[in-house]
Amino acid sequence: MTIKILDPTVSAEASLDTAVAKRVADLDGKVLGLLHNGKVNGDHLLDLVRERLAARYRLRDVIVIRKASASRVAEDTDLERLARECDAVVTAIGD
Amino acid sequence: MRVEHEFPGWAEAVEACFERGWTDGLPVVPATEDAVGRFLAAAGRAPGDVALTESTRRRTITVEKVAINAVMAGCRPEYMPLLLAALEAMADPTFTLHGAITSTGGSATLLVVNGPIRGRLGLNAGGNVFGPGWRANATIGRAIRLITLNCLGAQPGLLDRSTQGHPGKYTYCIAELEEESPWPPLHVDRGLPREASAVTVYAAEGPHNVLSHYGETAEAVVVALADTMAALGSFSPGESFIVLAPEHVQILARDGWTKPRLREALYARARRTRADLKRGGKLAGAVEPGDETVWVHRGLGPEDIHLVVAGGGAGGHSAFIPSWSRDRNSLSVTKEIRIP
Repeated sequence: MTIKILDPTVSAEASLDTAVAKRVADLDGKVLGLLHNGKVNGDHLLDLVRERLAARYRLRDVIVIRKASASRVAEDTDLERLARECDAVVTAIGD
Repeated sequence: MRVEHEFPGWAEAVEACFERGWTDGLPVVPATEDAVGRFLAAAGRAPGDVALTESTRRRTITVEKVAINAVMAGCRPEYMPLLLAALEAMADPTFTLHGAITSTGGSATLLVVNGPIRGRLGLNAGGNVFGPGWRANATIGRAIRLITLNCLGAQPGLLDRSTQGHPGKYTYCIAELEEESPWPPLHVDRGLPREASAVTVYAAEGPHNVLSHYGETAEAVVVALADTMAALGSFSPGESFIVLAPEHVQILARDGWTKPRLREALYARARRTRADLKRGGKLAGAVEPGDETVWVHRGLGPEDIHLVVAGGGAGGHSAFIPSWSRDRNSLSVTKEIRIP
């Protein structure tokens, strides 16, 4: 006699909004977003990124946001602001 | 969608669960349709009802998936309402499920059960409370782990990046010994009526033993508890659970101590200087003038210290259980268990 068993696993649901954003050719005249994960040294890492990018491109503006907690996802309002105001965003975990 | 797998026999099904990565490293009970049906009936919920959603990993766990994993863990059908309440608590945003089951910190989800359901399910609150020998404790904690592994993708080395983890990640479920406590139980502290049944979830480190045999006074017990809480290894502004041995709580009550007084005293005494925290690598930077006289407490206040009574009748062994969370990222959550 055979035995049939049920599958205990759950997969991640396909998301409709995970398409990769349109790439930018360069950052001249663009707004750069920097999202700091909240872990120690993430801010230093992003400072270096900012320095390097500013040396290569004429950035129009830089928006820096720090997550309140490294363990939690960024606030919707922060993500919306980055999406609305930035041409490109870099995030760093540090630690 | 329901997926079935067919095997020549029971032993082959057990082996297949290992091969598919569906276990915690120990054998599981193959989840047949009959068994899962009995668990769903005991839950009083439809198979497709949602037990938990986790937005970061984009997972939706149905009651049927909970039942399948509960069968595999070795549970009995009547444990289902407790499991569903535990998952409801873990889904509370203040618990931060994604971080708690991912972090290098290696926490396990401690379940503390209160109320009449303890007796009905045969949960142990007495001797060897964190140890083996009781089906309900062992398999309820294990079911939560299997759900974490199978439904939330927290496979070791993939989404679970624990540096070391701890043995509570196999199973970590206790009941409070309310009958031996002179104080209100945990679920009453959390605002539920005494006659309610409840489960509290806590993203926790392992239990740290607090041995105090010979003082035989409340002061001696408090000194030992506070010293353990102030140890650098787990020192943080996070929550604390103290699981008091019956012997210790009886000494405290005899000497006139109450829960609020004990919380106040432990908060006041469980502290380190900023210089200590820097010397121990708990804070960045060199020790500066003034650091030797700046005191930092464990937790943000007495209300961050949760007191529970459990353990055997003999022995001055209590436990301090630090939070995984180093601050407010993850807080313990209590939910009432509703029996259908």
